[in-house]
Amino acid sequence: MLKRSLAIITLLIVGYWLAQGLAGVPFGEDKMLVGHYYLQHVKEQTGAVNAVTAIVVNYRGFDTLGEVTVLFIASTGVAALLWRKKRERTAKVEGSVVLTTGAELLFPFIVMFGAYIFIHGHLTPGGGFPGGATIATAFLLLYMAFTIYEIPHKAFEKVEGLAGMSYVLVGLIGLAIGGYFLFDWIWQTWHWGTDNIGRLFSGGFIPIIYTIIGIKVGTELSGIVDNMLKEEVRE
Amino acid sequence: MNVLSALGEALVLIGTFFYFLSALGLIRMPDVYNRMQTSTKSATLGSLGVMVGVGLWAVGDGLSWSWFTKSVVIALFLLLTNPISAHALIRAAYKSGIPLWQGSVVDKYREHLEAKEKAETEASKEGGEE
Repeated sequence: MLKRSLAIITLLIVGYWLAQGLAGVPFGEDKMLVGHYYLQHVKEQTGAVNAVTAIVVNYRGFDTLGEVTVLFIASTGVAALLWRKKRERTAKVEGSVVLTTGAELLFPFIVMFGAYIFIHGHLTPGGGFPGGATIATAFLLLYMAFTIYEIPHKAFEKVEGLAGMSYVLVGLIGLAIGGYFLFDWIWQTWHWGTDNIGRLFSGGFIPIIYTIIGIKVGTELSGIVDNMLKEEVRE
Repeated sequence: MNVLSALGEALVLIGTFFYFLSALGLIRMPDVYNRMQTSTKSATLGSLGVMVGVGLWAVGDGLSWSWFTKSVVIALFLLLTNPISAHALIRAAYKSGIPLWQGSVVDKYREHLEAKEKAETEASKEGGEE
């Protein structure tokens, strides 16, 4: 009781302190410094209609590379923590017929929707990370509905590594052509798609990078799910 | 185009009414199974009404037909997935031993499970004797 009340009082003090700090910040006023530059130049500099993905992939592409690395380390770390020689699914009860049939039917649609999200990253909200997470959800659905389902490991791990490498490769091509890492060579050098901004074939290398990221995130999260659902088998 | 807008508004109204009914059922009903029955059915129907209605409303207000297409796609997705999730939830509730309302009269599923179990034990007994 004493512990709980002390914790509540401490939290109240911290909350009041934060509220005091935020009380001086006015809402509804134009306080953008860099934001104006992004909003005014995003179309002619990157070809993307979605300013968020343009910033994340083009202006601050290095951060996205870091995020992809963090995800990769997370997946590798889970695999290293849960590593055993012989591990299998230990679920005994198959989902009911309605569930298995429904999961089978829904799987291609969810994968298609995930692909739609990451392909249209430069036009609609979303991008590589939500699209990849949606694809991983489809695989999670199969894992939950069937007791014997397993992702094709060899293919998945290879695809994951290849996707990560091709992201760095795209950046290195930019370094070779334009002079710095993650330079948008398709847009800046080739001027490809400059006359159809707002359509699918525009946006410089944003769709390409987001397809790569989507595939990478999808396979990675599926791998994490796979690792966490398996248990050690003793003989 | 105003007919479309009026139709859409009516559909949204009907949908929100069914949402209200589903929330009411969640409070009013006695046990898990009855609550799931009322809430999933009327919430699915309410969502369908709201989504198709919003699509029609947007078209009627002069926006493009892609609004209607998208909302119908979402409505179809909900129509297909909501019953499956309700089925899985109710089945999981039954398997984890949540009792029926005390006013319930028959539980055919339990009878079926017990009969199956009995048949299995008899079969294994016979196999052991041989």
